[in-house]
Amino acid sequence: MGIVSPGESLAPGELLVILRHAPHGSSWLREGLEAAMVAAAFGREVGLLFTGEGVLALLEGQQAGALGQKGSDNLLAALEMYDVERCYVDAAALERRGLSENDVSLLPVTVLAHADVVALTQCFSRVLSF
Amino acid sequence: MDNVVNNCMNLHLLNRSPFSSRVYEDVLNAMGSEDQLLLIEDGVNGALSSAGHYLAGLEGRLFALREDLESRGLSGRCSESVIVVDVDGFVALTEAADKTISWF
Repeated sequence: MGIVSPGESLAPGELLVILRHAPHGSSWLREGLEAAMVAAAFGREVGLLFTGEGVLALLEGQQAGALGQKGSDNLLAALEMYDVERCYVDAAALERRGLSENDVSLLPVTVLAHADVVALTQCFSRVLSF
Repeated sequence: MDNVVNNCMNLHLLNRSPFSSRVYEDVLNAMGSEDQLLLIEDGVNGALSSAGHYLAGLEGRLFALREDLESRGLSGRCSESVIVVDVDGFVALTEAADKTISWF
């Protein structure tokens, strides 16, 4: 975990998956993570950006729903196996929810300030939004 | 990738009304200084004069889709700062941008 300055460690990439939905409330988050893993399995260099409600995916202590519905934490745990290692989180989205980088411990993530969120969308050649 | 342009221009598509959804805040947070925003579907509610404060600071880069405005009876109620385009204009904006990013 760390904070990058503009232009630094924002290497070009092939596919940026933006995750904007919380776990459990819909299938958007799981589907986004699955899309990222499929692309990575085909050898694409994939990055993940957690923003909006998507930052909640990174909180520890998640579990299955009352009816056994899967969350997203099991998928997060599989990302490393697929070599999805570039994970970013939007500092503004964290702050709005009263969270800090200490709260997002489920994955090693880089916290991005506003200018870096913009730069991230520019340095990946494709973007999918979930 | 070896052909990355750092100051590339992205086209953002928003299909949620700023009156009922805060997704527009995420869009603004992800927009570069040259990026463009096209309002479609319920997003065209953001083109109303009364919605100007939601999407301020996008003069010349804020578009709304004519077909969606017309179907909602909003054509005559748009803010002057919004550029109205038809579906051909939608295609042209898409062609001119490096990527399109959807927000919903």
